[in-house]
Amino acid sequence: MKNYSVTIGWLYPELMSTYGDRGNIIVLQKRCEWRGIKTKIKCLDVGFDHKLLAACDLLFMGGAQDQQQKIVAEDLQRKKENLKKVIEDSIPGLYICGAYQFLGKYYKEADGNIIKGLGILDLHTENPGINNPRLIGNIVVHPCHPELVSGYQPKRDSDIRQNNKGQILLGFENHGGRTYLGKNIKPFGKVIKGFGNNGEDKTEGAIYENTFGTYLHGPILPKNPEFADILIKLALEKKYGSPINLSPLDNSLETQARNAIAKRLNVDI
Amino acid sequence: MNLFLIFFGKIIIRISRFFNFGNGSTWPGHIALLISKNFIKDILKTNGKRLKTILIAGTNGKTTTGKLIQTILERNGKRVFRNEGGANLLNGIASTLALHSTVVGRLSYDFAIFEIDENTLPLILREVRNPDFIILLNLFRDQLDRYGEVNTISKKWSDALKDINNKTTLILNADDPQVAYLGLRLKGVSVKFFGLNDKGLATLKNQHAVDSTYCPNCNSKLTYSAIYYSHLGIWKCPSCKNSWPKPDISSFPIYPLPGTYNRYNTLAAVLLSRQLNIEEKDIIGGLKNFQPAFGRQEEINIYGKKVQIFLSKNPASFNESLRTIDSLNAKNVLFVLNDRIPDGRDVSWIWDADFEDFSSQFKNIIVSGDRLFDMGLRLKYAEFKEFQAEDNLTKAIGVTINKTPKNKTLYILPTYSAMLEARKILTGKKIL
Repeated sequence: MKNYSVTIGWLYPELMSTYGDRGNIIVLQKRCEWRGIKTKIKCLDVGFDHKLLAACDLLFMGGAQDQQQKIVAEDLQRKKENLKKVIEDSIPGLYICGAYQFLGKYYKEADGNIIKGLGILDLHTENPGINNPRLIGNIVVHPCHPELVSGYQPKRDSDIRQNNKGQILLGFENHGGRTYLGKNIKPFGKVIKGFGNNGEDKTEGAIYENTFGTYLHGPILPKNPEFADILIKLALEKKYGSPINLSPLDNSLETQARNAIAKRLNVDI
Repeated sequence: MNLFLIFFGKIIIRISRFFNFGNGSTWPGHIALLISKNFIKDILKTNGKRLKTILIAGTNGKTTTGKLIQTILERNGKRVFRNEGGANLLNGIASTLALHSTVVGRLSYDFAIFEIDENTLPLILREVRNPDFIILLNLFRDQLDRYGEVNTISKKWSDALKDINNKTTLILNADDPQVAYLGLRLKGVSVKFFGLNDKGLATLKNQHAVDSTYCPNCNSKLTYSAIYYSHLGIWKCPSCKNSWPKPDISSFPIYPLPGTYNRYNTLAAVLLSRQLNIEEKDIIGGLKNFQPAFGRQEEINIYGKKVQIFLSKNPASFNESLRTIDSLNAKNVLFVLNDRIPDGRDVSWIWDADFEDFSSQFKNIIVSGDRLFDMGLRLKYAEFKEFQAEDNLTKAIGVTINKTPKNKTLYILPTYSAMLEARKILTGKKIL
């Protein structure tokens, strides 16, 4: 696949990278390179030129600490329209934890204070306060598979149930905020083990166009290589405007890692 | 009542050790605190006149620094006890007090050294109102599922330190902005700083897992004229006047253990000893005789080969372990990754350690532990070409020792519970 190249925009690597999420960037980069796809990583730190967003084929943003999220929130509000445009334009992106929350309408703090989000995704997050524990632990979800592959968007009432045969995604979640999806957005998956968006409705994450929001750390991509490949494929298809078949890679170590965790959690894989 | 609890605790520790349940380092204290919640406060009060207390907190280096201080003080003829075995929560401290008290509740020691878990520091400061010394070593991201984030801990520490008075001397790392700032903002308290001031030790490249490069006072991005590792270095805020305080000590003629991180531990121990007017010859003598704490560069000889264990429990400590074993020309390396409670259940952090810098340095590499395949994936994506995976740790150790040439060293880099397991295998069982 020597004639292909992909530019990955890494939003706020200095500030939004606390939970090993740079593993996702490493995986995307290596899985491209191992196939001969040239990769460029653009680090988009505080104060970056908003025009750079449009030059990226794939976006990634991780989670962070509160102090750091505040700094990022200010910067991001200034680039809101630009980010909205690339997301609406189906530029694929992966947004983890705090980054996922940012894309929503608002974040309600424990004391009722409302922090405005970017309002790109139809969802909001609430922090129920210190008397409600953080949602921490290994998590397994059934992804909503059809749209992962094709961008096909089933109606909301069927999106979780119909995908029980989909393969599982494994990760580790650690979040205080509870996220609630609105009517105009689909979940990323259905929770099999763990908490997901809010610990109540069995949804995990969100998908809008080719944008994926999720609470799965771990990081998510090393142990879910098919998902990593879907992101790469979507990025290339969008960039080159034609269907892409990625050359296969040896995933045996990934499979062993997945099997080991699934076995421990009593999940069929 | 406390006398009964001491007596009871001692018996439990004996029984526990006799039946090999463990060394009884936490649960007698747990029971004592349940029955008498002021147990720690009362015992220390009774012995307050001659017993000096030293608290040590920080993400990395507590055990080694505690042992360095103990070795120096004992060299100087002082009687010292210390909480061992990583028993650094309130129950561990209560147990340590029960173990070292006489049956009439007297502690016939000159110094008590307590290493304190990051989250426990505020709690212990309620019991030990004004310890003679508090050493704060550093704050790195560690077990985010358990501790929360670095800023949360530093806020807790800052609140807890508000109540101390001038009876306490704070010994702080000048090179860690968050830690140094705790001292810079305190008024009316004696504060001493240790730090490095040697450009030769600075790294050329920024490490990834950097937590505190923003000003703890005004949130602006800090500038560094030298970085030693992670976010430790000579820092300055370009916006407010906050900056690196010039350390009271920045070098010493001898360092008993290799690695930049151990320079910090040594400087902290020497600075404290100097506050106590310990003679330099005793400091040097103590450091020369120093034996590493268990699992912290501890050496074990087996079948004519040397095994050295480098506890590697978070990105900063993993990076320093890798850097140090590489400087020792390591070729045979065993990585052991567990995800039990003492290790943190979340293993994401291995992706924040910079394995990429060492992808072609080592030869005989094996991964083991509960999450061996996660470790394997980390190595795969860092482009380590060849490594083996073996889930049985005894076998893994056996295989790597076999492959290690005579007179060469096998380096084991384990997480906390994996370190205990590896030590048990190496010291207590036949493995080949």
